Amino acid sequence: MEITQTRHGDVVVLALNGRLDAHTAPQAEAPLLAPIEQGAKQLLVDFSRVDYISSAGLRVLLVAARTISENDGKIVLCGLKPAIKSVFDIAGFSSIFPIFASQQEAFNHFMK
Amino acid sequence: MLAKILVVDDEPDLQLMISQKFRKQVRDNELYFTYAKSGVEALQKLREDGEMDVVLTDINMPEMDGLTLLAKLNEQYPLIKAVIVSAYGDMANIRMALNRGAFDFVTKPIDFDDLEATLKKTILQALTFKQAVKDRDQLVAIQQELEVARKIQQSIVPRRFPPFPDRKEFEIHATMIPAQNVGGDFYDFFLIDDDRLGFVIGDVAGKGVPAALFMAVSKTLLKATALKGLPPEECLQQVNRILYMESVAAMFVTIFYGILDTRSGELHYCNGGHNPPYLLRADGQIEALELTGGIVLGAMKNSAYKAKKIVLQSGEGIFLFTDGVTEAMDRAGELFSETRLEDNLKGKPDVSLSQLMQSVIEAVNAYSTGVPQADDITILALRFLGMRA
Repeated sequence: MEITQTRHGDVVVLALNGRLDAHTAPQAEAPLLAPIEQGAKQLLVDFSRVDYISSAGLRVLLVAARTISENDGKIVLCGLKPAIKSVFDIAGFSSIFPIFASQQEAFNHFMK
Repeated sequence: MLAKILVVDDEPDLQLMISQKFRKQVRDNELYFTYAKSGVEALQKLREDGEMDVVLTDINMPEMDGLTLLAKLNEQYPLIKAVIVSAYGDMANIRMALNRGAFDFVTKPIDFDDLEATLKKTILQALTFKQAVKDRDQLVAIQQELEVARKIQQSIVPRRFPPFPDRKEFEIHATMIPAQNVGGDFYDFFLIDDDRLGFVIGDVAGKGVPAALFMAVSKTLLKATALKGLPPEECLQQVNRILYMESVAAMFVTIFYGILDTRSGELHYCNGGHNPPYLLRADGQIEALELTGGIVLGAMKNSAYKAKKIVLQSGEGIFLFTDGVTEAMDRAGELFSETRLEDNLKGKPDVSLSQLMQSVIEAVNAYSTGVPQADDITILALRFLGMRA
């Protein structure tokens, strides 16, 4: 699992690359939480290069969502492949996270 | 950490020199020396104090010489490291001592800086070895406890089939195979009253002991709440609220809960983030059950749940499973997938549920031959037989 962090205005963008499963989820936890702990309130997680997510991966996202909501911040997601989107839908996570097709659409959401 | 050294020599001068040379370490409680004049006396001392780390022994002594002592040490005290003291150039004895398991040697006349360095190295080795043995014993103890935990976990889900031998209007079967000793999956079923059978399957995020603890809480809570006779959506709502409060580190659980009216075949169900079960039609066709859109339990404080209703005709059933089935991998990392599961379920309306389950497990095992089981595998199947029986 590779995670690349960039910034777009106030939005911190984390692009994930690889599988987010029981093995890789613990490695992803620190990079996901770091920007939140540094005060970021707008986090965009780009899933366009993720082709598998397990419940352990969902749990890491949930930890991040809970942490950022304590700071009145927000996480949104973009670029979910159909298989990933289906996992989010089944687990009910599509109603926890706003999901967009592209980074640009997510930025537009934050601009509102 | 205090290291204990037994010095074995029939001449008193070594004792004198050691107590002078290592006075500071003894005073600072880093080293403890005790002395014996022969191999026999040395073994006596070791019997009295089983905590010795290093034996420093001369070779030529009355009663029992150093080489014989080495052999006995190897047999009886394999954790103790021995250093021998030999005459300078006495290669024959030095070789024999090393072959009998001595860790190192020093030669007479003793160079005390060399002795200090040798002892330091030997003590480090002895303590490291001792710690490794202790860790191994602890590991064995933990594994034994996990084995007990596995038995307890297996015994808290219903294991006797058929569970209600006098109820002919339905058939139910289930199995749970954890990937490690214990797992985060569970199933359960119970009669809420004479005509209502509650059944549930669940999957806690993660594996191993943390998942197992959360599994036990989730299963107990669900059954206790369900037995109040609440409709499924209210039941999940209540369980979610309590789990959310208890959920450290954002643990959560997927739960599918259904209630079958054993007279009419009416099935009310509610889903909290679990993967869709299959409806087994009486003609052998199968289809994924329409989900109800609920969020996994324990994740959000005020998740709302909705129930759906279907009516099972006589001979129709429902097949619930956890993702350990569909996400079992082959050597190439390909998933077993819904497609293969569906192929195994189709066209078997007359096969008993236990046989159906067995054939699915066998198919999964065959598919993932040579690959360690990555996730817990749990299946629960239910068939309404109604008036046919």
